[in-house]
Amino acid sequence: MKTLSFPNARRRKIWFRKVLWRHLLGVVVAGFALFPLVWMISAAFDVTGQISTQQLIPLHRGLANFTQLFSNKEKPFFTWVRNSMVVAICAAAMQTIIGALAAYSLSRHRFRGRKLTLTTILIVQMFPQLLAATTLFLIINTFGKTFVFLGLGHQLPLILIFGGAALGVNTWMLKGFFDTIPSEIDEAATIDGAGHFLIFTRIIVPLAVPVFVVISLLSFIGILNEYLITSVILGLDGKNMTVAVGLQQFIYGQYGKNWGPFTAGALLATIPVLALFMFLQKFLVSGLVSGSTKG
Amino acid sequence: MKVRVSRGTLLKYALTYSIALSLFYVGVRFLQSRAWFLGVFFICSAGILIYLYTFHKKVPAKYLVPGVLFLVLFQIYPSFYSGYVAFTNDSNGHEISKTQAISTIIENSKVPITNAGPVTFRAAIENSSKKLFLIFEYPKDSWWVGNSSSLEQLQVSQIVKSSDSSIEKVHGFRLLNSNETEAVSGDLGDIQVKLKSGLVLQAQDLQTLQVSKPSLVYFPAKDELVNVESGVRYHPNNNGQMVSQAGEALYPGWKTTVGWRNFTSIIHNADIRHPLLKVLAWTFLNAIILIALSFLMGLCLALIFNSPLLYSRRIYRTIFIVPMAIPSVLSVLVWSGLFTAQTGVIDRIFHISTPWLTDSLWARIAVLIVELWVTFPYMFLICTGAIQAIPNEIIEAAEIDGASPLKVFGLIKLPLVMRTVAPLLVASGAMALNNFGVIYLLTGGGPTFPNTNGNAGATDILISYTYKLAFNSQEGSNYGLASALSILNFILIGILSVYGLRRMKTMEGVN
Repeated sequence: MKTLSFPNARRRKIWFRKVLWRHLLGVVVAGFALFPLVWMISAAFDVTGQISTQQLIPLHRGLANFTQLFSNKEKPFFTWVRNSMVVAICAAAMQTIIGALAAYSLSRHRFRGRKLTLTTILIVQMFPQLLAATTLFLIINTFGKTFVFLGLGHQLPLILIFGGAALGVNTWMLKGFFDTIPSEIDEAATIDGAGHFLIFTRIIVPLAVPVFVVISLLSFIGILNEYLITSVILGLDGKNMTVAVGLQQFIYGQYGKNWGPFTAGALLATIPVLALFMFLQKFLVSGLVSGSTKG
Repeated sequence: MKVRVSRGTLLKYALTYSIALSLFYVGVRFLQSRAWFLGVFFICSAGILIYLYTFHKKVPAKYLVPGVLFLVLFQIYPSFYSGYVAFTNDSNGHEISKTQAISTIIENSKVPITNAGPVTFRAAIENSSKKLFLIFEYPKDSWWVGNSSSLEQLQVSQIVKSSDSSIEKVHGFRLLNSNETEAVSGDLGDIQVKLKSGLVLQAQDLQTLQVSKPSLVYFPAKDELVNVESGVRYHPNNNGQMVSQAGEALYPGWKTTVGWRNFTSIIHNADIRHPLLKVLAWTFLNAIILIALSFLMGLCLALIFNSPLLYSRRIYRTIFIVPMAIPSVLSVLVWSGLFTAQTGVIDRIFHISTPWLTDSLWARIAVLIVELWVTFPYMFLICTGAIQAIPNEIIEAAEIDGASPLKVFGLIKLPLVMRTVAPLLVASGAMALNNFGVIYLLTGGGPTFPNTNGNAGATDILISYTYKLAFNSQEGSNYGLASALSILNFILIGILSVYGLRRMKTMEGVN
């Protein structure tokens, strides 16, 4: 028995010395990371809807905030959700596809101006689109004078603006990943008679699915998070807004005003994104780093 | 050689040509509405698409062109356009063209003619066009029918008069009775009839017209406005405004290029320079502190929670990246509620009363806390990835050679992690310089500096100050100055990106 208890005791000692403090730190950091989320949930179910009286476990629990959110005709929550989904999904898909096409040729082909293109993309990547928000507004305004559906207050121009930023957002990361796919595979395919497009769709794309997942997820969330350009292009007309811009209307100006419906909506908008993120997170660590290391 | 056309090829041509055709159509429509750049751009795009996808040459370009076209339209063109606006005086009071400005000035200079006597009118609808017209007699015995866009003299034969010499019927028109006239009074008020002599007639009530005359006349040949009564001459100055010799300016002005003035005013005008310097200092301070803190936090967490002894490290990792997964617009707004002074959750938990968001220092701390919350998960993830990418053999070899954990970290782990992460840090730095969302939604840039022109605040960074100048200013929007500041921002980021690029090149080279 003595021989068995010895490693147990030792293990416990190691556990105290090397593991316990990690758990303690982990709980503190987890508390920081979850802090706003926890209070968002708490406030969403607190029927009093006041910041000043809010408790972690609300005294008066109920779904009043949700019914108030759904019944507000001037602030149509579900229309906002649909708008957000349309814009974010279309633009994220566009960013991924356009970025993948460009990255393929930058990774696999050697041509004049390749280095210049790569450098330019790297520099463009540094300049966020929101620096030119004023001029984007003017340009979309001009669009709208000729084609109404491309004008202010419509989703198509917003999708085009975000989707059009593809080259500056994803290309380097995708190229880095494509570089890791051995070129012997496509050389073999070339000998078997496959053209460049076939190689792209049948070899590169299937192998790069994890990085596509990461990139479209990051694009999707990036677009949902965008505030300035979205609000400038879609305007502040109730029907056109996205969730993020729309929900802000509940607490615009004075804080605490309509805090309840705001948190209820924020919670509903957060859950699907959070779930998607957690579901796909195993791709994230590898994807984020693989893009940068193999530059 | 046998030419074989597969279904894929047919689809390719169908797609290419239909897209090219629609781009061409869009381009032509833009040319028609005088949007020159857009028109030319779309037509050229159509041409490029047809050329590239028809011939079996230029394979790389086939893949690059979609991205490049979008890049030009939505990123490069707007940047250059901002560059143009920075050299204009585009601002409130200078938004329209010179022709529009001069006609507005003339319009505003009208003075009523008192000796004209009352001019009565009847409102009428033209039978053919259903448009509203005014029918009136001025001067005596000459009858007119007109609205803002047209004016015609009526022949005596067209008018049927009643016994008291008021008009009863006009050929081709339906006269409105007093009730109908009242119903269209809003439209009546908008109608201005201009006579050849320069006189303007406008309804002052439902029966009579006011006769007025612009006191300014424009002479295009000399490019001057002359006041016909006082004889004062107004000439355009270099800021898009008509000014007399005595210095009296006429409003509105127009949009014109002003050279470097927006840039020099940043330097010379103390009202702009003082807040701007503070804003610039905070922009850099904020970015540097944020990147340092979040990288340090991310690196430490990655090192601590990557330990194989910790069985629950997956769970911790999942929790730590939650902030990445919450739409930040929403989470920042939640933070803004939590930071409410006294009644907010944070103050109640810690039993403190902190002037978050209203005191300069505390507002800055609040901004940093929220920014750190938003960014540390990303740093944590990239550091974790970089640490996991270090081959175990290297570390084992070092340990066998007797290296202490500190030495393993300092001499092996850190340099290898930095190698991976440094380019991402530079990119994050560029992002942190333009962290508009957090600052705008959390503090709105406030609290504002006392005694400064404009509305710069303690937490304003360059991009949010620019946004305020462009859209949100109490003194009226100044797009020209805002664009000049954007250019400044472009230059700052440009320097940073060149630095980052050189760093990357020395480290791994662009292959």
